[in-house]
Amino acid sequence: MTTSPTPRLAGLGDELEHACAADLTTTPRRRTRRMVLVAVVVAVVLGGAAAIAADQLSTSDVASSLPAGTAALIGTNPTCTVVKQHVEYHCVLAKAPASEVSDWKGTVEPTVDATKHVNGGCRALRSDGLEWQCYLGQAAVDQQIISRGFLGQYAPEPGHG
Amino acid sequence: MALPTDADLLAAARTDASAFRAFYERYAERVHGYHLRRTREPNAAYDLTAETFAQAWFARGRFRDRAGGNAGPWLFAIARNVLIDSVRRRRLENNACERLGVLVEASTEPAETWLDGLDDPLDGALDDLPAGQGDAIRLRVVDELEYEDVARELGTTPAAARVRVHRGLSSLRHRLRQRLEAS
Repeated sequence: MTTSPTPRLAGLGDELEHACAADLTTTPRRRTRRMVLVAVVVAVVLGGAAAIAADQLSTSDVASSLPAGTAALIGTNPTCTVVKQHVEYHCVLAKAPASEVSDWKGTVEPTVDATKHVNGGCRALRSDGLEWQCYLGQAAVDQQIISRGFLGQYAPEPGHG
Repeated sequence: MALPTDADLLAAARTDASAFRAFYERYAERVHGYHLRRTREPNAAYDLTAETFAQAWFARGRFRDRAGGNAGPWLFAIARNVLIDSVRRRRLENNACERLGVLVEASTEPAETWLDGLDDPLDGALDDLPAGQGDAIRLRVVDELEYEDVARELGTTPAAARVRVHRGLSSLRHRLRQRLEAS
């Protein structure tokens, strides 16, 4: 079924396989690497004030949570509308995110509130990354965007991919 | 025992890097050939192949089996996007490789000519063919492989590969004629 790749392609296969194996050991399923980096930062710099409760967040607060959680979304000027108050939001970016991912659809990212605590997460609805469905608090855990342990953790900087 | 489909391998690759390696082995030569035909530069083709598979790795969880287990159209769509993005940004796309920690030189400057004929209706029509037929035609007609090699690539017999090519060419002729009439 398979062909024998040229030595150079075989070498690339080796390198990819090792890199993929390493990625599996460091990347929890359904999370992007930047989320892991945020989690690492959390592990190092625990502390700070408690997260803002979801029922105190406005739509503009939710919109601000996207770039606060993900560096690739900085400068994208999201606007969010309520799908289910304090739980689910639909967010549209004015500008496409940084091009580190060719196809954003299905990608999940954490959101971070003004106190720099993880307050939920979003899932990209389109390949260009311009539309996201966001969930606050436990809803983001239920959507398997973030883990229960990640919610509420301190995240001083947006994650980088 | 039946060989795993591409879809099987990608599903397994969610937790198993060796399954992704098997998927890579299945397509590496063809993806490299695709990029080499476009760029005519071995180093650029190699780097673009690396990026294509690195992006496929990160996107494997989003693969949806719409072609009877065949992930060829999905993978070549990634390859095509990698090529287009590289030309548009005037540098070889390597974000996924960097993210994965795979080192590529990415020193070649992309040329607009790499995209010549990319939107040829033939490419689109091949992607639209039923599972296996498009691949069979690409392997036999574009890559000029013998039927024995086509069969080995597709995991079937030479006779079955010949049938796929024949049926695929008939379908292709019909579809291209329809497109021409529509336009």
